[in-house]
Amino acid sequence: MLAPLEPTGWTPEAAAHLLNRAGFGGNPKEIADLHALGLDGAVDWLLGAGDDSDLFPPPRASEAEDLKAHQAAQRTRTEEERRQFQQELQRDNRQKIDELRIWWLERMRWSPFAAREKATLFWHGHWATSVEKVPWAFMLWQQNETLRAHALGSFRAMVREISRDPAMMRYLDVVASKRERPNENFARELMELFTLGEGNYSEDDIREAARAFTGYRIDDATQQFFFARRQFDDRPKTFFGTTAAFDGDGIIDRILEEPQCARFLARKLWIYYAGTEPSQDWNETLAAEYRASGYDTGVFLRALFRARGFYAPDVVRRQVKGPVQWLVGTCRMLEMPLPSADVSLGMLRQLGQVLFAPPNVKGWDGGRAWISSATLLLRYNFAGFLVSGRATGLPGIPGRAQPVPLSVETLAGPTPSADEVIERFSWRLFQSQPDPTLRQKFVQFLSTRPPAPETWRDCLHLLMSTPEFQLT
Amino acid sequence: MNPTLHTRRKFLRTAVLGGAVSWTVPAFLERTFFALDAHAADSAIQTVTGRDGTILVVLQLAGGNDGLNTLVPFADDAYHRARPRLGIPADQTLKITDSLGLHPALSGLRGLYDAGRLAVVQGVGYPNPNRSHFRSTEIWQTAVDADRISTTGWLGRYFDSCCEGADPAVGVSIGGQTPQAFASTEPKGISFSRPEQFRFQAGDAAAEEFFRSMNEPSPDATDGASIDMLQGSAVPQGDTLDFLKRTALDAQVSSDKVLEITRKSKAPFSYPGSQISSSLNLVARLIAGGMPTRVYYVSQGGYDTHNNQAGSHERLLRDLDGAVSAFLRDLESQGNLDRVTLMTFSEFGRRVAENGGAGTDHGAAAPLFVAGGAVRPGFYGKMPSLTDLRAGDLVHNVDFRSVYATILENWLAAPSQGILEGKFNKLDFV
Repeated sequence: MLAPLEPTGWTPEAAAHLLNRAGFGGNPKEIADLHALGLDGAVDWLLGAGDDSDLFPPPRASEAEDLKAHQAAQRTRTEEERRQFQQELQRDNRQKIDELRIWWLERMRWSPFAAREKATLFWHGHWATSVEKVPWAFMLWQQNETLRAHALGSFRAMVREISRDPAMMRYLDVVASKRERPNENFARELMELFTLGEGNYSEDDIREAARAFTGYRIDDATQQFFFARRQFDDRPKTFFGTTAAFDGDGIIDRILEEPQCARFLARKLWIYYAGTEPSQDWNETLAAEYRASGYDTGVFLRALFRARGFYAPDVVRRQVKGPVQWLVGTCRMLEMPLPSADVSLGMLRQLGQVLFAPPNVKGWDGGRAWISSATLLLRYNFAGFLVSGRATGLPGIPGRAQPVPLSVETLAGPTPSADEVIERFSWRLFQSQPDPTLRQKFVQFLSTRPPAPETWRDCLHLLMSTPEFQLT
Repeated sequence: MNPTLHTRRKFLRTAVLGGAVSWTVPAFLERTFFALDAHAADSAIQTVTGRDGTILVVLQLAGGNDGLNTLVPFADDAYHRARPRLGIPADQTLKITDSLGLHPALSGLRGLYDAGRLAVVQGVGYPNPNRSHFRSTEIWQTAVDADRISTTGWLGRYFDSCCEGADPAVGVSIGGQTPQAFASTEPKGISFSRPEQFRFQAGDAAAEEFFRSMNEPSPDATDGASIDMLQGSAVPQGDTLDFLKRTALDAQVSSDKVLEITRKSKAPFSYPGSQISSSLNLVARLIAGGMPTRVYYVSQGGYDTHNNQAGSHERLLRDLDGAVSAFLRDLESQGNLDRVTLMTFSEFGRRVAENGGAGTDHGAAAPLFVAGGAVRPGFYGKMPSLTDLRAGDLVHNVDFRSVYATILENWLAAPSQGILEGKFNKLDFV
């Protein structure tokens, strides 16, 4: 049982922290509304993710390509026609993947159930599957929907679904696994990266598990999973000391019995949401909580978000924003839409987080790895573009774009004093007050300028061009 | 006080921080000094910079360069049999030996070879070659076995192990993104396409000036130091805000330096008009201007020649040839040629047999070039057999990490075994 936050600890700052971490943050009104619910009410509201699918009509990627029909049609064409068709198919598919990326970003930006999108982003990094090896929009969309469906639910159900997920099956070569020649790629990563961590299983366990994940195939016409019984190795396997005719689900169930599995997942979830490396004791406490929940991620997160440790000073405003959090969070706190598709995707690419293209099967490293002198300067300059719509010579960003609609009056209020501007902006951007030195510097800066929207924009840009703004 | 430490501190105060005199050393700088102190025994490592030490330029040929049409085994019948449309006739190649000649577009490199400034390493690759651009590039960049994944790059590990406390611009990449080869535990290395972009841009000069004043170390910048002491649910890792402040300072310092150097140094030398020429031209200006950079990284794309390869490959090689030739002439006129070594690499070579579209598909082993004033010219490794293939591809006889080991040990004076996580035989091309 995680010790809960004491009632006096539920401050507006704590509410802002919860909204930042469970979701992508929000504007001052949203923070105040969340605070008014009280801690339990706030956590329930955030995790009680309802249906928002009508707000986000499925992208083009949701239409399955009949690969079998394509193949048949290809056979009737000349070599030149085949080549052209193939190129056109690839071009359209790349376009669909970009549309899928934007569709998801819009969902993160606008969904009333941001916590589910935030959790889906966690699982995308966990079950890292890349367009580089699976260049098919439909499969990537399908996996994204699977992750969303289970993001705040049963981990056991999620693992089973993912083992049958066509994108994952291609990514880790399950499709190439045969009864007499099992491919070990998925079995290895299942244990090393997805459930137990290195050193908590043997090479024999991998070999035996690989035999259980044979017979998993994809129907090219529908791009759905099917089970090819004749390719399945139904002979007994010895896995973690038990000899039985394990199938894939049996292997998964056996892995989840290992206490290490809860330890591994609880640590990873804690790092994603709290941003710190848990001590060994704390990791054990978290693992016990996850086990007790029956591997129900939503139940576990409910406890985590109510825990005193989640609101500790070394947690609050000490996590480096990932590029997606930086972009989506900025738009949410400034009450503005995402920039155009090209600009949004260009920014994320240069800041190092392309959706559906994690760097490798380990996913994004996260934390400090997001920051280098180059990406920090880019963040500062992109922030300038977001508030002014102006940029000169930023790579991948049009020199002059339609300024993002941003009502500076909403943000600063009518005819505010310099001091009020700094105070309101600081709360909006950092959910805290600036230290006196910084405040004084900014007030001085503002005193030299006319009280006009351009001044407020410069001020916002400068506040966002700070180390502090990279943290959440 | 330890004299090295003293010098270093003075250097940081005056040179790096632009002459700020009366401030307390911020917590993160203080820690850097401690780290320097611990490493003071190895003073050579600290003092060598790109201002006077050796410099490496890595040139990536992205997309998978066709090695067989770059260094052509014109005397081998198997070559002409495998490439009825793409094979380059013996009399068109720029012959170097009785059996090998360069692609006709590489006349500049041919000249460098004659002048003793070019080495060719043949048959470079790695076991269990991967034919995905993405994955194979990652393997070259991270320098690990094909079945392993590393989060750090080979140059990043060099920065980590040999360049502690060095200027953040110890690695400079010309291009939008930081190459994975630079990925390190302590972030090092900067990247930009055009120097004028590598700076903070605001609405007007006053805002930019204000930004500058915000990023000067403040007299009481020790806030956050106590976070290390906090006990609780987390393992102490040093303060993240400190880390960000240091990175912001690094960015500011490097940005100033790059802008100053590129404004000062005009380009007295004319380069051909290509993207790779502009990149190398910029590198030459940065070297001339005395950047502390030890490793530069540039990239030329477009080598994924699946269709109608002949024309596009020729254009690519012509651009490469012109850029490298001009770069070396430029360095020579600067008097820096002996301090600079340039190496090329590509994620893989291409299939021996041409495909139905007069192009070539992804392959494995390929040659690479090493050029510069200190190069020992000649051929290293062997031309792989064109008949003894593995899955239709050439078999490597030089592990790419042998090339890296040579560069690290012989050129950057760095112990390669730790960086490459293993011992690889050195070649003697430098």
